[in-house]
Amino acid sequence: VSREILEALVGVFPLVVPEAVLGLAACIFFVGGTFRTNRHLWAGLALAALALAGLGWWYTGPVPSTNPFAAPLVLDRLAFLTKGIALAAGVVLVLLSWKEVADRQAADYYACLLTIVAGLGLTGSANELVTLFLSLELVSIPTYVLLYLPRHDPAAQEAAIKYFLLSVFSSALLLFGFSYLYGLGGTTNLAALMDALTGSGPEGLPRVAQVALVMVVAGLGFRITAVPFHFYAPDVFQGTSTAGAALLSFVPKVAGFVALFRLLGLLGMDPGRLGFALGNQVPILLWILAAVTMFLGNLLALLQDRLKRLLAYSSVAHAGYMLIALAAAPNLALGGTETVPGGVEAVLFYLVAYGAMTVGVFAVVAYLDTPQYPVDTVDDLAGLSRSHPGAALLMALFLFSLIGIPLTAGFVAKLLVFLGALAVAPEHNGQLFWWLAILGVVNAAIAAWYYLRIIAAMYLRSPVRPLPQTRAWPGLAALWACAAVTLIFGIYPNWLQQAVHGVAAPPRPIAQAQRGER
Amino acid sequence: MPTEVSQVLLLGLLGIPLLAGLTVALMGPRRERAIPWVSLGATLVCLLLAVGAAGSLASLPGAATGSPAKSFHPEFETRLTLLRLGPGAVEFYIGLDGLNVWLVVLTALLMVPSVLVSWASVTERVNEYYAWLLTLETAMLGVFLAFDIILFYVFFELTLVPLYFLIGTWGGPERRHAASKFFIYTLAGSLITFLGVLGVVLACYTEPRINRLTFALPELVGEVNKHLAELGKNPAAFAKELAAWQHIQFWVFLALMTGFAVKVPLVPLHTWLPLAHVEAPTAGSVLLAGVLLKIGCYGFLRLCLPLAPDASVGLGVPLIGMLAVAGILYGAGCALAQDDIKRLVAYSSVSHLGFCMLGMFALNEAGLSGSLLQMINHGLSTGALFLLVGMLYDRYHTRRLSAFGGLGARLGLLTFFMVFISLSSIGLPFLNGFIGEVLVLMGMFAYQGPQVNGPLLASVGAIGIVLGAWYLLSMLRSAFFGPAKEPAHEDHAVGDLNFRELAALAPIAVLCVALGVYPQPFLRVAGRDVQVVARIAGDAMQRSPSYTRQEATPPASPQAAVQSPEEKKAP
Repeated sequence: VSREILEALVGVFPLVVPEAVLGLAACIFFVGGTFRTNRHLWAGLALAALALAGLGWWYTGPVPSTNPFAAPLVLDRLAFLTKGIALAAGVVLVLLSWKEVADRQAADYYACLLTIVAGLGLTGSANELVTLFLSLELVSIPTYVLLYLPRHDPAAQEAAIKYFLLSVFSSALLLFGFSYLYGLGGTTNLAALMDALTGSGPEGLPRVAQVALVMVVAGLGFRITAVPFHFYAPDVFQGTSTAGAALLSFVPKVAGFVALFRLLGLLGMDPGRLGFALGNQVPILLWILAAVTMFLGNLLALLQDRLKRLLAYSSVAHAGYMLIALAAAPNLALGGTETVPGGVEAVLFYLVAYGAMTVGVFAVVAYLDTPQYPVDTVDDLAGLSRSHPGAALLMALFLFSLIGIPLTAGFVAKLLVFLGALAVAPEHNGQLFWWLAILGVVNAAIAAWYYLRIIAAMYLRSPVRPLPQTRAWPGLAALWACAAVTLIFGIYPNWLQQAVHGVAAPPRPIAQAQRGER
Repeated sequence: MPTEVSQVLLLGLLGIPLLAGLTVALMGPRRERAIPWVSLGATLVCLLLAVGAAGSLASLPGAATGSPAKSFHPEFETRLTLLRLGPGAVEFYIGLDGLNVWLVVLTALLMVPSVLVSWASVTERVNEYYAWLLTLETAMLGVFLAFDIILFYVFFELTLVPLYFLIGTWGGPERRHAASKFFIYTLAGSLITFLGVLGVVLACYTEPRINRLTFALPELVGEVNKHLAELGKNPAAFAKELAAWQHIQFWVFLALMTGFAVKVPLVPLHTWLPLAHVEAPTAGSVLLAGVLLKIGCYGFLRLCLPLAPDASVGLGVPLIGMLAVAGILYGAGCALAQDDIKRLVAYSSVSHLGFCMLGMFALNEAGLSGSLLQMINHGLSTGALFLLVGMLYDRYHTRRLSAFGGLGARLGLLTFFMVFISLSSIGLPFLNGFIGEVLVLMGMFAYQGPQVNGPLLASVGAIGIVLGAWYLLSMLRSAFFGPAKEPAHEDHAVGDLNFRELAALAPIAVLCVALGVYPQPFLRVAGRDVQVVARIAGDAMQRSPSYTRQEATPPASPQAAVQSPEEKKAP
């Protein structure tokens, strides 16, 4: 083994400290689960592992890559941010599932959860097709187990099987796309690949690249629940536990969008290095996806009575809003208006806001849900403001955030998305994106109807069947964490905006210097 | 008063109701006696602060002499960065100027009777009710005080939430439907407005001659108009740029207009209003009519006109002028046909708001200040009418006009106020409505711009005054005079106004007289900034392509096109 390869192998470890901690913890959990069956123990240990990983994450900080054209993993600001989001989501999901997990399965459940968090973090770091694929699978495979573990009724089995089959199918599509990418670029390194694609000139990419593009978007579209790859969502959300649905609504979306940033070459935000995003194919493909996803998600959500199905369609619709920003991203970079946030920054802001509000809604449902009195339909929440004023108030906060009412993170997220869409210069299909923004606000108005229905049920109706009082501090802590994020980033969004600002733009001199060396 | 103090006053105006609302919410539903007192105290303090701020604005050297303000810059401003976006930033930017000062006072004033009138009629979930009411006050004051375009929008949307709960929880039998319809309708409109807001900010940023990303209204207005003035100086050389900006303004105006037109409401978009008014609790109706509809007008005045002046002339005057006149007549016609008194007053609002919009789009000083005055008048008189209808409903639990007759003999004081306020609403000389209507119509008569026959619009609009007298007087005649007829009610004796109700009504009545007899202080303080808007509109009129055609009587300046301010102000 030569010294250089050894160095490269050893040099990777500092970049994945949190993932290493989590992986190790997962192994201990799997083994330890055979000796001890106590959910409080394992959930507590999971929190400890996440805290430890968090410490590692904070102390490594973003590390500028010395050679992005060879490194399999990078720890740029996007990776750093993704890891942070993953760890925070992990903490909330552990708290959220505390109540639902049976003692016997606790160790396995939390081990899977930690693996998923690690996989999400790695997805943010992956700078290579193979690593990226493996990271995505590291998210998917434990998810199958997680969906199946807490419930064994036919609906849960159907959900797990449905998710498994479609997920495998989408992975196959992704791999198929990757094979074309490898054929085009002759390398699996993403930075090098984008450079090779850029070399094909601004007139357009070779035809084969379009096949790769469509396959990649289809494979990742499954994870972000973009229409037409969404149709597993309602059944699976309905069939799994509340914590499982919360996980599905958020984690795969983050993974999918982060992978899309890297694969479409949006991170350069340097018109010379746009990779796939060159030409019109990407924006137009994403434009259509965004429009269809928003409309279908919102219109079908109007028809739902069961909460989890409604939230599934709502998560489809929100994927549509994020796709608006993603579609506008390449053209924003071309237009030279990169100082207007939009594009990648808006998607990241939106992801955080969306995570807080959607997981928050699930947290309320999980908090109120008991085996005797399951919270299943909108009617079950009727009169909640009388029996559980606090939970109702927080639920209303999350729902107003989902509508996009000011003083919530959801409003600022929509502000950034629409600002980005409207900022596309006229010579780069600006008018097309104005129309997309108009479709977006029309959808936001449609969406208000079904969110408002839940608020109306909670506040304006008398209880159909009063829910019992519950006291569970983990559920409450998850709730308050989501509420704090929603409210703080709604009132003073500057912190989050500064965190996501510039994620898309690596220090340009370095990128150019690297290219010069090669 | 030093400026720092006034600055704190403005912050207090936003903070005190919010804090009081929180306090009340945390007091729990059981302390029904203390909660209204806390709310009353908070609203009274706010009223004092608002009057203090208005007084210190009026005593500023510029305002005292009535010299025109240079541009849109507010006094007593507070600026804090909320969200840094590249070279610009969304700010918490509030201040006071001639356009918003009286609306702020009106809001603070109407809150007091709103609390008083809820005293006995709200018995369920008392703490939530007053919490929402006080939150609504913060949101409404915020809309008027905001000088950052995003902050304006934030408060604009935030008014929806408390009102949704107020209508939905404490409203009439159809409250849930009414609340949802109100929320969705206004939200859909205001989302389009949101696009317009972002559009105008980005237009300033991407225009290479401006290239400035700012969300502050004074700066946006300044940049847009400076740029347009530069282009307008040499229309031949900048023909392309001018056309491009006219195109941008067209869409910006249309987008901004949508949300405000729903809120005003202009006629085809008014359908949420009667339902929301009828179902809302009395305080909700008072604030809806008194303040929230003004937010729509204020949006036109603050955003549409100064940010899209060319479109306001080219598109706004014909479109809004027509819709306003249609609204005046349609609202009056509908009011004539109603049997429900609350619905009658609701439709009369549609009619009166038509006058506000008609005056505003006369685009001259008379029209604009008339429009502003009419906003205040409508807030006072229609607010008081809703209070009275609410008091009537508290006594008889019906609002059917045909159920009442000859109440004058039974309820002397209530009848007195009803007649008095109706007369003010009709526009009897020496009461406030008269001056507003006269200024509006004079403004429209004097309209000199292209495309629209001002005198014709004004004459048709004037029919609305006659209709207004008709429906209000026939309401008075059938319910309060003539043979006595009382609807069945619980056997407790129906008494006349008590002290609390008198305290709610009397200040409004006094102000109606004061504004009718001596409106000069009002017009003087508002006048400086009204002149700024009038100047912007006048410049736009000179730029408009069809303007040159009618230069048979070329006015030296847009101000000279109308009569001098002093002549108009004396009724």
